[in-house]
Amino acid sequence: MEESRLTPAPASSQGPNFPGPFAVGTYARKLQGWMRERARVQLIGEVTGVGRSKVQAYFELRDSEGAVPCAIWLNDLEKAGLDGGSLRDGAEVVISGGLDYYPGGGQASPNFCFRATHVRLAGEGDLIARLEALRKQMRAEGLFELQKQLHRPVLPKAIGVVTAERGAARRDLLAGLERRGWRGSLIWGFAPVQDRHAAPAIGRALQDLAARPEVEAIVVTRGGGSLADLWAFCDETLCRTVAMLRVPVVSAVGHERDSTLIDDVAAVACSTPTHAAEAAVPLDCLAARESLERCALSLRRAGEGAVETRSRHLGALARGPARALQRERGKLNQKIREIRAAAERGLTERVASQRRIGTLVLERARRRAAGADMEKRREALKRAAVALRAHEPERTLERGYALVEGDGGEPLTSAAETGAAERISLRFSDGRVSARPERRDDA
Amino acid sequence: MDESQPDQSGATTPDSYEAAVERLEEIIDRLDSGQAGLRETLDLCKEGKELVTYCAGELDEVGEGLKELRLDDLATKLDTASEVG
Repeated sequence: MEESRLTPAPASSQGPNFPGPFAVGTYARKLQGWMRERARVQLIGEVTGVGRSKVQAYFELRDSEGAVPCAIWLNDLEKAGLDGGSLRDGAEVVISGGLDYYPGGGQASPNFCFRATHVRLAGEGDLIARLEALRKQMRAEGLFELQKQLHRPVLPKAIGVVTAERGAARRDLLAGLERRGWRGSLIWGFAPVQDRHAAPAIGRALQDLAARPEVEAIVVTRGGGSLADLWAFCDETLCRTVAMLRVPVVSAVGHERDSTLIDDVAAVACSTPTHAAEAAVPLDCLAARESLERCALSLRRAGEGAVETRSRHLGALARGPARALQRERGKLNQKIREIRAAAERGLTERVASQRRIGTLVLERARRRAAGADMEKRREALKRAAVALRAHEPERTLERGYALVEGDGGEPLTSAAETGAAERISLRFSDGRVSARPERRDDA
Repeated sequence: MDESQPDQSGATTPDSYEAAVERLEEIIDRLDSGQAGLRETLDLCKEGKELVTYCAGELDEVGEGLKELRLDDLATKLDTASEVG
């Protein structure tokens, strides 16, 4: 504001050395003019404290960081198509206008406001732009990481749930937990999920649940809707609250395509309440029971197997000495058999050898005993044989003599014996002749 | 082989179900490797059975029946209790 435009009153001799004093009414009008010269802009925020007079509606437009008092003439409101109840608390709106100041008067109070000349409900694009700005700011502050660093138990015994009491999300979450085989404690923190009271109520429920020591995880869920419907879950205060909780929060807000700010700050963001059930109870209890039974079986087998295997081994070791003894005994017997066979074989050979030696010795002894007489005796023997041969009857017969023999073959050496015999036999060298003596002639 | 004797009070309670399962998997892997001696095998089997019992107990706690409570009711009970106190 240009102070030089004001006409100063007579100078005062007291107080700081500022320009003035000026008449306040003049100053107020100058202030009004200065404000109305400011740039016309658009603002976006949530409507609160809506009131109406005969000519205008007034309200505050606010977000988590601040608020501006606003006013709009009712005819402007009608032109914008927002007469009736459209301009209500909790509505996200975009207003166009600029600063204004009502100087008041002798009886009327002055009033500062943002004079809206146009207002419209915030569209998807407006909300997305605002959401992105919030997202960028909170990410820069590191608020998206805090929940994700929390430990999430695989098997919580108590779970807190923030949702609408009569929403389909409640039913879906229960079905998901049942499929998981989880039947622990559920603590419901019912809260509105779609009006201007939603974000504070959800925040309070979350804090109350997180304050309970038995609660190990919290699920925040609601069904799908437009971004405006889900806007409570983009509330900056709520999301900052979630980021600072000590209990992990699983968010399942809207459908898969919906993305709210609470999804960013939560420990886990899920597309459906069913998935939220799986995230809140990471362990499939039914599968875990089966796995546990397999583990128990493995342990039993390992224990029993270790003992049995070693028992068999010990048994084998215990039988080892006896087996070794048996083996050595077999070897010994074999040796004995071999030795016996060898001994028998050696004895036979030795006996034969002794016999051969004995025979040889005897022969040698005999030969020694026979000595030089042997030849003489042999010659004498030959001579005796020749002499003996000369006395044999056959030799006599060969010389032409005959031998008279009786019937019995007995020699008849006298005429008497021959004459007495009935029959006789005359033996010649070449055969016999039977004869009968006729008479005896005595000599 | 670890020849140390277990303490008088027996095995300590695991910090959590996941810690128990993690230790149980280590034990099974060790037993499956076939490298554990008899004493170690028996000790591991004993520890493993205790862990199985613990895990089964944890599963039983969330398997017997869903208990649904309302935060409002709990807060009311808390207020009543504090007033009585």
